[in-house]
Amino acid sequence: MNDKITRRRLAAAALSSAAALHAVSEQAPAPDDLNATAREQVRKHSETLAKFDLPMSTEPAFQFKA
Amino acid sequence: MADFTDDIFFATITELNAKLKARAFSAVELVRAFAQRLEQLGPRYNALALPLTGPALKRAKFIDSELKRERTRGPLQGIPFGAKDLLSTAGHPTTWGARPYADQVFDYDAAVLQKLEKTGAVLIGKLAMVELAGGGGYNIAGASMFGPGLNPWDRTRWSGGSSSGSGSAVAAGLVPFAIGSETSDSILTPAAFCGITGLRPTYGLVSRHGAMALSWTMDKLGPMCRSAEDCGLVLEVIAGGDANDPGSAHKSFHYTPQYYRQAKDLRIGYAPVDFAERADPSARPAFEQALAVIRETGAQLIETRLPDLPYGALTSTIIVAEACSIFEPLISSGKVDQLADPKQIAGLKGGLEISAQDYLKAMRIRTVVQQKIRRLFADVDVLLAPTRLGPAPKVSEPLDHRPPESTMPKDLGLSTLIPAANLAGIPALSLPCGFAGGLPVAIQLAGPAFSENVLLAIGKEFQARTDWHRKRPKLE
Repeated sequence: MNDKITRRRLAAAALSSAAALHAVSEQAPAPDDLNATAREQVRKHSETLAKFDLPMSTEPAFQFKA
Repeated sequence: MADFTDDIFFATITELNAKLKARAFSAVELVRAFAQRLEQLGPRYNALALPLTGPALKRAKFIDSELKRERTRGPLQGIPFGAKDLLSTAGHPTTWGARPYADQVFDYDAAVLQKLEKTGAVLIGKLAMVELAGGGGYNIAGASMFGPGLNPWDRTRWSGGSSSGSGSAVAAGLVPFAIGSETSDSILTPAAFCGITGLRPTYGLVSRHGAMALSWTMDKLGPMCRSAEDCGLVLEVIAGGDANDPGSAHKSFHYTPQYYRQAKDLRIGYAPVDFAERADPSARPAFEQALAVIRETGAQLIETRLPDLPYGALTSTIIVAEACSIFEPLISSGKVDQLADPKQIAGLKGGLEISAQDYLKAMRIRTVVQQKIRRLFADVDVLLAPTRLGPAPKVSEPLDHRPPESTMPKDLGLSTLIPAANLAGIPALSLPCGFAGGLPVAIQLAGPAFSENVLLAIGKEFQARTDWHRKRPKLE
């Protein structure tokens, strides 16, 4: 095999691009806040789905064929 | 030795095939030229996951020996390509774009790669992607072990995701075509942002055997190319039944757009609000122009709306619930914390709290989505909308940065077409249609299940009347 570029080298190159993102991540919320937001999202979606009335005969799209 | 200029690097599959047949260059020369370019320029866009130059040249030598004997295998014979790094390649790392899987090696090739190899296409590299195809919900362009996907039209802009490397590699002329995947928007978005043509096939048309599973009921693989015609040629090869994919529709696909209704005979559903009000102001002239071109084809444009259903809650609940089941070992082991995007980490952890009741409810409502979308196609043949409402966002901005909904028209038009169509499992084609502030924008066509030839026929006609798909970025 004649691979001149290794994944390690590519990952190192990516680090330079990651620096551009540093400012964004510095402003990012703390992990605990993100976890709380994620749980809140699950709860909100649950409420949205609960509001939707379905006939009892509606089965899940398990045997999914387009 | 042939002179490999941009005219070669940005040529379509059909054009490259004609030159190979005319012996303008050999398969080895073509593969070497593209492979060197991918190795040289791929890292500039964080597009390259793994070069496969050595095995590719060996394969190309074999193809040349076949061509010499006039053994032909079809239009992809000798054509180099790249594959999203969620497709397994025997003996080589398949990272899924995620640090916890950096050293993962499978001992078999994904079904699509086997099919492409059989027709003589040559895999020259694995292409970068958003980690785990973004299943937990990501918010930064840098949500990948390869760094943020950078857009060849402007490296301060995102290439789109999750098939980020596939999008930028095709756009920069590093590969003639690539294989991407879509669970909900991962082919269409990078195709739109990078100014290339992307096809999301009907669910079950292309085998996913050997591809990372994110959501069993929503994952699809598809081509990302320079033109609608190229998408058709690639789809013909990768489509087909597969007993190894439980979701397989066991159908094949033959690219024959000439036998399908042409644009002038079609009823195309659209929502004017998408083009005139919901779209980013900078993109509206391009979208209006695209609408005008569609009108010129003679197609009948009919105003339509999507059924009012909670598409966002449905896609999120289904994808995250299935992803959390698939990646449960990653989450429970704590290795999930090695991912690059904190939002994705939190999303996967939080997803474990989705109840069976909610998942089943979402899947039952999905049955209604499928029924209503099917009914919609009684009134129109295809749906037309902007693929994305504006051009690629800046890499430095959070990806969920968008105008507040309160400033947008209440009429949603077809703005939720991507999640709705993915829930319904129907195909879509993204076509470049112009520029906004120097960045590509695109329209999408969505049709009923297995209507790929209709979409491709319209796409081919659109691209015969425009040259947006022929535009090339000035590579910095």
